[in-house]
Amino acid sequence: MFDSRGAFNIAGGTAPGDVGASWYPFWTATIMGIAAVFVGYTAMVTPQPKEGVFQTRQSVTSVLKLVIPMFLYAASFAWLGFYIATAVYMAFFAWYLGRYKAVGVLLAGLVTPLAVYLLFEVAFRLILPKSIFYTMGFPF
Amino acid sequence: MEVFGNLAGGFATALQPINLAFLLLGVTLGLVIGVLPGLGGTSGVAILLPISVVVARGDIQGANTTTAVILLAGIYWGALFGGVITSILFNIPGEPWSVVLLFDGFPLAKRRGKPGLALTSSFVSSFVGAFIATVLFTFFAQAIAEQALKFGPPELFAVFVLSFTTLIGLGAESPAKAVAMLALGLLLAGVGFDTLTGQQRLNFGNINLLAGIGFVPVTIGLFGIGEILASAEEQGIGYMEKISARLGFADLLEALRALRSRIRLVVSNAVIGFFFGVLPGHGATAASFLGYGLARQYAKNKEDFGKGEISGIMGPQATADSAGVASLVPMITLGVPGSPTSAVIMAGLFVWGLQPGPLLFIQHQDFVWGLIASIYLGHLLTFILCLMAVPLLAAIMRVPYAIITPFIVTISIIGSYSLNNSMLDVAFTIIFGLVGYWLRKMKYPLAPLVVALVLGDSTERELRKSLIAGQGDFGIFFSSPLATLLMIASAILLLLPLVRLLRARMTGAPVQPPPTAD
Repeated sequence: MFDSRGAFNIAGGTAPGDVGASWYPFWTATIMGIAAVFVGYTAMVTPQPKEGVFQTRQSVTSVLKLVIPMFLYAASFAWLGFYIATAVYMAFFAWYLGRYKAVGVLLAGLVTPLAVYLLFEVAFRLILPKSIFYTMGFPF
Repeated sequence: MEVFGNLAGGFATALQPINLAFLLLGVTLGLVIGVLPGLGGTSGVAILLPISVVVARGDIQGANTTTAVILLAGIYWGALFGGVITSILFNIPGEPWSVVLLFDGFPLAKRRGKPGLALTSSFVSSFVGAFIATVLFTFFAQAIAEQALKFGPPELFAVFVLSFTTLIGLGAESPAKAVAMLALGLLLAGVGFDTLTGQQRLNFGNINLLAGIGFVPVTIGLFGIGEILASAEEQGIGYMEKISARLGFADLLEALRALRSRIRLVVSNAVIGFFFGVLPGHGATAASFLGYGLARQYAKNKEDFGKGEISGIMGPQATADSAGVASLVPMITLGVPGSPTSAVIMAGLFVWGLQPGPLLFIQHQDFVWGLIASIYLGHLLTFILCLMAVPLLAAIMRVPYAIITPFIVTISIIGSYSLNNSMLDVAFTIIFGLVGYWLRKMKYPLAPLVVALVLGDSTERELRKSLIAGQGDFGIFFSSPLATLLMIASAILLLLPLVRLLRARMTGAPVQPPPTAD
């Protein structure tokens, strides 16, 4: 953890003349703090747009539509493994945002994991996480 | 001359079938990445870093670190060319550096009905610009590296400081925001073991953080996921124009004629772009705006700009591509990245076990000259591909949003996971994706954060080595003429925003911020 005492001691390190481990992070953080005060001041004295950061309500939801599935997708790796999670994720978007028919949804869900498998595991031998069913003899 | 011998050796390396194959793969991927609006060159290079590791390791017959760098740099060249295609045809910039092509490229294609001429003009000037920059690269790089070999820790630290102050003084819309981003990058780089004393710091007791926060997952998050989220918001706001184009020989001839009458503009812009691109943090994006400004300023027909004037395409393209090439010069010679994309390539060098900097020219001659030769070849290849494959590349834009967006998220996550097989890296990618999105919205520059993150460790190491050598005396940074000069230059750069502000106050004119880097 950070020890702020060392930050003020110019000879805080082990070698003579060394400033030690906490000196550098302390002063960079201080500089960041000072910069933040400037940014805050500038933001206060310049007029801000009335509607706030997001132009419309729709722009907030369009971002959330991406963020929430992304969280679930990454969180499901531990159980579903990369391939099943990706198949579900791609198919979900094809159905939810693309409004595709069953064939399109199925294709989107199958082609991506297959392509990734061929490129990463077969061609470049990069191993991706497998599902909990993998130990039961499931292929992915 | 020694340079020609070295370059010939470089061509011998770059022309090996395996290297040519990966160069072709790189530029093709780069073109595709350049065309896709949600995926930029920086994140594209970062996502493919794990593959470059496999290539560098020599798992593939005949491939080595030179092959790996040729692949990554090739993506950059492809993206530099490819971004303009969608700017010109669809009025949607594929890359930040092709925004400026909306001013004259799209009008020439749409209003004057000459999409073929607009595209070929852009490709021709990109090629000439990049070629001039590569020639300058060939002759300057060795000279810079030879000087840099004489640098001790104080000089190196001064170079790092200079690169940071350039980002503050020349690049940023808001200098305070640039300072904050620099400091954040340096802090993030400081997480984990302190390299000199071995003490743990800033890891909040977490063992997984002891290895530090990885540069690659953070960059993929900031540039890959961050960009996707930012473009999600624009969905439905913008509308897409569709112009189809097939390039004919007549278009090429017309573009070459146009080039002949503008050769002075293109050459001078390319040279300016080179020296601009060498400055740390100033990649192709800022250069493209500079190039447009220069083209307009020295044109006799200023009123034609914005209506489809060819100089408004050739000027910025020559400057942007030249700056893109030049941004590799300080990375290779000094270990200071010239742009966020070259920062990612530099991170690649670290991962492959190479130390970017002047020693490369001595210890890894094959690598350096192979890379330089591949820049010539890469641009030639990209140029030919562009002339042939525009309809195909434009068709990529028809891939629907519901497919391309989750796909980019997927490959971003694979990219960050497979470098270290680490789920923590995936978590960092997502967290920094949200951070990157928010920083974009709040108009914070991302270049200082990325450059500081990749340079953080070396900066601290050189600072402390200097202080140990000087027995703790800060006077060590003024002990040699070169270090003193660099420090004074840094101080001047820091004062620049203040001078600009004061001058604006006195004349009452609004402060004109320069465009931010890519």
